[in-house]
Amino acid sequence: MSARATPELINVARFVARSAVNGPEERFVIWVQGCGLRCPGCWNPDTFTFAPRQLLGADELFALIRSTPGISGVTFTGGEPFAQAAALLPLARLIREAEMSLVVFTGYELAELRSRAARALLGEIDLLISGRYVESERDLSLQLRGSANQQLHFLTQRYGPQDLAPPAVEFHIDATGQIAVTGFPTDEMIPA
Amino acid sequence: MSAYITLATPMIDTECLIAALVDLGFRKADIEHHAQPVAIVGYGMQSANIVLRRAQVGTLISDVGFLRTQTGYRALISDDDQRRFGGNWLERVQAAYDARLREKEARMAEEERRRVEEQRRQVIEAQRQSIHERARKLGYRVDEKREAGKLRMVLVKRSY
Repeated sequence: MSARATPELINVARFVARSAVNGPEERFVIWVQGCGLRCPGCWNPDTFTFAPRQLLGADELFALIRSTPGISGVTFTGGEPFAQAAALLPLARLIREAEMSLVVFTGYELAELRSRAARALLGEIDLLISGRYVESERDLSLQLRGSANQQLHFLTQRYGPQDLAPPAVEFHIDATGQIAVTGFPTDEMIPA
Repeated sequence: MSAYITLATPMIDTECLIAALVDLGFRKADIEHHAQPVAIVGYGMQSANIVLRRAQVGTLISDVGFLRTQTGYRALISDDDQRRFGGNWLERVQAAYDARLREKEARMAEEERRRVEEQRRQVIEAQRQSIHERARKLGYRVDEKREAGKLRMVLVKRSY
């Protein structure tokens, strides 16, 4: 595995300043751009390509995070965060220095995360959700997972199973009426 | 990964939708507009307010329609006709609509702007109601928050 974005910049698909369904409590959520795993049935196929989408520096993203009041942490999802482990590491360190928590979704198994950058990033993570999305094992009743093979790893003492809310879905409606859906929605929850 | 699914911006402006269809190559004379929905051919028993008739357009298997609803126009087009237009036809309609709406908003008088804002507010309220309705049917509780001009609705499965 190697970082494919410009090392000092993070290739970002999008971010949401506040969400309650992407980890414990209220969180700033960053969907990174680029994933080599391309699991069939993934929610976010628009994040597969590694072509630059929004290239942002760690400082720039951290300033946005700091300007969002009342959040307890940040979530990296995607896309594949570990494909940009080296670029995300400085941001992860800034987040932890600010005493905020870090949750990361990855399609890799924990045992596959062996590169130096991956191990360094793991050292900053409180909660890791790992494993490919496997369509035949789809189960949306699980906390923070889309398929039964995926695993929760509490890597620090900050969170435990008791901190996870029941599975939930979030709708954001902006001033133009555009709806964005995040979390783990079933098909019937998504408006036609 | 958790989902992030963006749904299309509601198309609520009739004039912009018709202009968008013209931009995509349809003759204005071939686009029917009806205050009350009329039956369309080849798409079940559906009806629509804006209709492209297969007899006029020539290359279609079914009529193509846009039904006006409380949450904006809903496109009625068969999968076969979408493929004939190119798979991303609805995205192109949306993009042309968005461009036409931006142009219209730029030249709008204040009174017209207020009217459009009110229309938009009504659509957002209809969307909100429809999410509540769906959540209730599926057994979810809804927590709402308004932040920075956005409405956030968190749906949590009821545990009782």
